[in-house]
Amino acid sequence: MDLSKMKNDKKLYLCRWYYRAGFAFLPFLWCVNAVWFFAEAFRKPPYEEQREIRKYVVMSGIGTIIWTAALTTWITVFQLYRAEWGETGDWISFIIPTGIP
Amino acid sequence: MSDSECESATEYTSLMDAHVAPVRTESVAERKRKPQNSLEPRGDTAEDDHQENGLVSHAPTDAPAGAPATGNPSDITEWPLEEEEELKYGAKHVIKLFVPVSLCMLVVVATISSVTFYTTKDIYLVYTPFHEESPDTSTKVWNALANSLILMAVIVVMTVLLIILYKYRCYKIIHGWLILSSLMLLFIFAYLYLEEVLRAYNVPMDYITLAIMMWNFGVVGMICIHWQGPLRLQQAYLIFVAALMALVFIKYLPEWTTWVVLGVISVWDLVAVLTPKGPLRILVETAQERNEQIFPALIYSSTVIYTLINMASSDEPKPTSSTTPATTSTCTTTAATGSCHAPTCPTPNREGDTESGFSHEWILNHEENAARRQREIREASNGQQRDPEYRTFPQQQQQQQIEMDDEERGVKLGLGDFIFYSVLVGKASSYGDWNTTLACFVAILIGLCLTLLLLAIFKKALPALPISITFGLIFYFATREIVKPFADSLASEQVFI
Repeated sequence: MDLSKMKNDKKLYLCRWYYRAGFAFLPFLWCVNAVWFFAEAFRKPPYEEQREIRKYVVMSGIGTIIWTAALTTWITVFQLYRAEWGETGDWISFIIPTGIP
Repeated sequence: MSDSECESATEYTSLMDAHVAPVRTESVAERKRKPQNSLEPRGDTAEDDHQENGLVSHAPTDAPAGAPATGNPSDITEWPLEEEEELKYGAKHVIKLFVPVSLCMLVVVATISSVTFYTTKDIYLVYTPFHEESPDTSTKVWNALANSLILMAVIVVMTVLLIILYKYRCYKIIHGWLILSSLMLLFIFAYLYLEEVLRAYNVPMDYITLAIMMWNFGVVGMICIHWQGPLRLQQAYLIFVAALMALVFIKYLPEWTTWVVLGVISVWDLVAVLTPKGPLRILVETAQERNEQIFPALIYSSTVIYTLINMASSDEPKPTSSTTPATTSTCTTTAATGSCHAPTCPTPNREGDTESGFSHEWILNHEENAARRQREIREASNGQQRDPEYRTFPQQQQQQQIEMDDEERGVKLGLGDFIFYSVLVGKASSYGDWNTTLACFVAILIGLCLTLLLLAIFKKALPALPISITFGLIFYFATREIVKPFADSLASEQVFI
């Protein structure tokens, strides 16, 4: 998909769609949205829909940052306290590392 | 003059229909003639120039060959330039294709050499009932042959099925099929892959993170592949999917079957694309006839523009899950008018990939020309006159067209090609010898170059597997049986060359 070939209203639609879909626990989608539309929102000469696109891009960016922060925190906590949690820790573990024989 | 005009025009037309008519042989001679022709008086110089750049106007394909377009001397002049430009684009696109192909192979080789899961043989595909367990060579040979014939039969059946569906316009079914297979690849196989990688590197992970990661990865992949997404991301997903598929093959096909399958597949590729009744060829021709884009699945395209992607898949053999995703591909089309469509051929099944393996690398050109022709026809008929060589369009349009041309051209490679290239290199690397791996890698890239060269010459869809795979197999066995012992003995004798 090439953004430069797209009509402005189509861009807005796409950006909005990505933004809304991101609420379904899809931070990656927000990330894609923010990166993909960044130039569109901030670099291009102003046009009618730009304000709205900018809004969605910023919101998506913020969403991505929040998600990244939350996920990083969780992973750090998990890695640090995994062993201490004992059985619960094992229960939520997908991969339990094996020791070196 | 009129003679030569006629001739070259015919030639021209045949080119456009290249998929039908095998190449022009005398093009060299023709080309020499052309420059002279350009000196001929022509009325509309400016326009011609535009066309030259844009490679725009061609006689309408639909016109009976020979008859039509010919009349105009200026038609002829476009040739040399066009030719040159195509070759140039060809060179650029070689590079553009090298990168994704190499990336795909890199992913496979890296995985093979770090994750032992993919090299241990335990389960096999349903399609390969003979497991080559006997120590006897002749038994192994017939096992491998039987397996690959079965696999082949499955592929052929899937391809034919796809074509029948396409012929009767069951697009819904095809899309459903493609979506289902890509869904499987992106979720189930990616999940297995992640699990094995994490296990190999001994990284602890919890289910919550896993769920979020898989969900995001899969859904974004589906959106990018089947709907709209950034081209880069789409290409990345396609490459990853191809690599996953290749890993599945390497893991679930018995040792010798893999090699035999590679050979058989490239022969099938040859047959399916080049014979007059070859399924892939039929597919492409039908799509062109209908002037529509083939469900773009199955193809990786080096250019952008309107990319629609789909995954093709197949339901086939997946060991576990029963379906194998096939290949995905992208089609490029021109956005401009609905008319464009690139005839790419999708090939369906995973194994089908095989099929997809047919790389339909089309010179876009070709396709574009088709699209353009359509547009032109339309425009011409709207506008002024319909003369056979639609040369008189308002300049604006021409410019537009020219612009598009630049971007639209690209080479397409079936995802199946990616898969089988990677299978070959991955298989070679699974024996742990870097010499053979590198030899295969280089051989495949050389084969790809040659294929692209042939593409520039023939300008029709060509199978990308045969040359590369033949080279790859020759290099693999030669390196393993001859070069390596030789190098080893040189090393042990302390001889340096």
